[in-house]
Amino acid sequence: MRGTNKVGIGVGFILIMVWCLLPVAWIISLSFKSQEAITAGSPGFLPTSGGSAGFQNYVDVLNDEQFRRAIFNSIGICLIATALSVILATLAAYAIARLEFKGKRFVLTTALAIAMFPVVSLVSPLFDMWRTLGIYDTWIGLIIPYMSFTLPLAIWTLSAFFREIPWEMEQAAQVDGATSWQAFRKVIVPLAAPGVFTAAILTFFFAWNDFVFGISLTSTEAARPIPAALSFFVGADPFNRPASLLAAGAVVSTIPIILIVLVFQRKIVAGLTSGAVKG
Amino acid sequence: MAGAGLLTACGGDGGKPTLNWYINPDGQDTLASIAERCSTDEYDVVTQLLPASATDQRTQLARRLAAEDSSTDLMSIDPVFVPEFANANWLLELPADTIDDDTLQGAADTVVWEDAIYAAPQWANTQVLWYRRSLAEAAGLDMSEPVTWDQVIDAAGENGGTVGVQANQYEAYVVWINSLIAGAGGEIISDTEAGRDATVEIDSEAGRDAAAIIQKLADSDARQPDFTVSNEGTTLAYMYPADGPGEFMTNWTFVYANYQGLIGDGEGQISQDEFDDLGWARYPQTVEGEESRPPIGGIEIGVGAYTDEPDFAREAALCVTDEQAQEELAVNDGLMPSRSSVYDSDALQENFPTDLLALYRDSIDTGAPRPKSAFYNQISVALQQQWHSPEDVDPETTPARSADFVTAVLEGRALL
Amino acid sequence: MSTVTAPATKDGVNEKKAVPPDSDRMKAENRLGQRLVAPALALMLLVTAFPMLRSLYLSLFDYSLTAPDEREFVGLQNYITALSDSALWLTTLNTVFIMVVTVAFELVIGFAFALVMHRVVFARGLIRTSILIPYGIITVVSGFAWQFAFSNTNGFVNSWLPFLDSTFNWFGQYGSAIAAIMVSEIWKTTPFMSLLLLAGLAQVSEDMVEAAKVDGATWLQRMTKVVLPNMRAAIMVAVLFRALDAYRVFDNIFVMTNGAVGTRSVSFLTYQQVVEQFQFGIGSALSVLLFLSVLLIAFLIVKLFKVDLASARQEK
Repeated sequence: MRGTNKVGIGVGFILIMVWCLLPVAWIISLSFKSQEAITAGSPGFLPTSGGSAGFQNYVDVLNDEQFRRAIFNSIGICLIATALSVILATLAAYAIARLEFKGKRFVLTTALAIAMFPVVSLVSPLFDMWRTLGIYDTWIGLIIPYMSFTLPLAIWTLSAFFREIPWEMEQAAQVDGATSWQAFRKVIVPLAAPGVFTAAILTFFFAWNDFVFGISLTSTEAARPIPAALSFFVGADPFNRPASLLAAGAVVSTIPIILIVLVFQRKIVAGLTSGAVKG
Repeated sequence: MAGAGLLTACGGDGGKPTLNWYINPDGQDTLASIAERCSTDEYDVVTQLLPASATDQRTQLARRLAAEDSSTDLMSIDPVFVPEFANANWLLELPADTIDDDTLQGAADTVVWEDAIYAAPQWANTQVLWYRRSLAEAAGLDMSEPVTWDQVIDAAGENGGTVGVQANQYEAYVVWINSLIAGAGGEIISDTEAGRDATVEIDSEAGRDAAAIIQKLADSDARQPDFTVSNEGTTLAYMYPADGPGEFMTNWTFVYANYQGLIGDGEGQISQDEFDDLGWARYPQTVEGEESRPPIGGIEIGVGAYTDEPDFAREAALCVTDEQAQEELAVNDGLMPSRSSVYDSDALQENFPTDLLALYRDSIDTGAPRPKSAFYNQISVALQQQWHSPEDVDPETTPARSADFVTAVLEGRALL
Repeated sequence: MSTVTAPATKDGVNEKKAVPPDSDRMKAENRLGQRLVAPALALMLLVTAFPMLRSLYLSLFDYSLTAPDEREFVGLQNYITALSDSALWLTTLNTVFIMVVTVAFELVIGFAFALVMHRVVFARGLIRTSILIPYGIITVVSGFAWQFAFSNTNGFVNSWLPFLDSTFNWFGQYGSAIAAIMVSEIWKTTPFMSLLLLAGLAQVSEDMVEAAKVDGATWLQRMTKVVLPNMRAAIMVAVLFRALDAYRVFDNIFVMTNGAVGTRSVSFLTYQQVVEQFQFGIGSALSVLLFLSVLLIAFLIVKLFKVDLASARQEK
């Protein structure tokens, strides 16, 4: 019984690794196929000996002005949206976790509803509003919706963290004469920092992944983020979809995510699981 | 200050304005150098790249124009979208001498909307039948005479070859359908100036002839494995396959320069002998004995209605479409001139076989434009939905069903 | 109700602090709380509630972006047109199909993954890092990766599946195309599901499982009688979230088939009317219907499976 169990877990382990990494290996492999081989048709997992491009696709992709702009846009927009969203969420989550006030249920229900909101329904009114306000195809035009849609996740994650903070310390501070606000700022913020950090990573992931807003609220490289740029990506030859070039772009766009995952794996798992399920 | 209009991205320093020219990806390097040449002491022209598909290009431009964006000064547009843009007052009128007798008819027709000129033809595109001479020879097909779709499909199918077309659910599939129908003397829709009240004509003998050809190819051994998702790029690979005699392919003019650029001995490259085996002929006939109507495409330059510099933009539009620009696009990128005289220039005569140039010019002059309607995109998408997948096309039902659907869409009774 | 001596209980989150009830203090707390949530709430509503109301308004007009001056009030005509169009029902059916199949697969595979991760004693960091990669990868990238994998010109799937001809075109017909789309969906989101389930699994008392084992319960019995019932809340919340997420499927369809061969989802249909056709009137009507259908599905899942929403809202 024990033995089969161990074998089962070993097999499961291998299956999980294959599941997670095979498609990643595939896209990396594809990014090394040469453009000529792709046009001529080059089936199979690995590039053929004559059909390998080396790092040429990466050179091409990084030399592509549009792609560079898209990376710049994505990083800029996502970082700003993440920072602002986390600040607002921290304030809200503190209130939800610690204070009694009227309208708390409303806030929580709103957050839940927005997490379920079909973003495509917002495309037409937002486009109309943004063009009236003059923020269509600008960074701010994407930052605002990214913030709104990451707030629920950030609020949940953070309030879950806040509940596990030893509140006696805040009470002690309050007994010492600090106001609620001072107690919040001096005592809770440092303790909550890891939670804030987790919320920031999850928020960044969400914004980085967005596609619907990215294609519908931008129209040039002034604000177009990576997912939209990839879907519109054109190589030197517009009639041949540059599959291997796209793959190289895809790999480049995944590097930040993999770095974040490698460094903050523990925090992300904790954040994901505490935020959504609280038994 | 609500509704106070948009902030503009242009302007620049020192008062020298920058004109943004939204280009499509064909020949982007040449276009950038043309933009540089057409910059003057008074203004700079810079290029901005649009997505690859015609439909996406239209969406991007239309959204900018609907937002009354003043930084959209010049734009490269597909001819089929000129009526829609002009009708929405998104394009400025251009002077009457933008087109003249030297402009090929197929190109000149597409820039006019309600008796005014809204765009300057830059280059013109058409499709011809590309094929391997050895394959046609093996099939005993005399390519010096006009051939029909039936003959081409049979010749390829019986000799292990394939037939390359564009049959994915996208604009170029409508290009094919339109030429098939026009080749049988019909049209998709008539009286298009009536807008939503135009008359849908696809449920006709010509429509059924077109459907029969699509069905025949779908059922034939000559169909390519990715037939239902095929586009201009995917079909290129079947001309020189690893094994097999190659293909007959209807495709745009860029094909010649494309294969010429492949000569070499790496993987995916072709030998000089193989390249010399590439043949070309006029677009196949839908009905035997009736002249074929090749597709018309290309790019035209429009001036955005909300530009801050309408005079400079008009001037630049003419500059980027002048004879020198057309010559460069043809020589560098295989994008053919919309002016007849440029075909006779030394540069073109040196770079292309004379008979190929004549074939192009003739095809553009006698081709079949797609319906000229302010609602063209709706008509096109409606057709794409009804005629895709090509495997399900049936002459008995598809034309009738699609006629009903197009009518319903135009009347606002159906979702696309 | 609060008591003066309330100790910090297990979920002692909203316990009143150990101060005497003081109305000034409570008022101040009330004010502070509202001030702290106000910016977040305002932003969330600005981008959702306000546009949704505008959609509701626009949906009563015949309004095309290419002819803004011809905007015309048509009452409920757009809704009648949309609801009587088979395209809406077919795409809805397809969307529900995608939702049911992907969530079912994700639940089963995700649970298996969670079990493995729960029991695995070696390389925990490695396995958790790996499982986060699909979660973090952009959906568009996942779509491309699988589209090329299934491609019959440059992919590997055909050559790895012995029963398939190497020229088989996955995107040529509905069945295989939708399967490819669902593979991409399932691949990307199963890890997320497994992490949620792992959290639920961690809350099942080991003692209870051991006790059942001592009583001679088989593995299957332990799972169905002890583990699963105790994970109910976690499973249901995970299902609710994933189902609504799956119902909004858009990115993979856009990238992999662009809606061809009947693979359109409701989101994709709405996108086409609004963004590609500029039909803001009927597009807005579809937006409203899409929103209502999401509400309906959320309601059905909550009612049918008795999901404890309070736990999702973290009111405990």
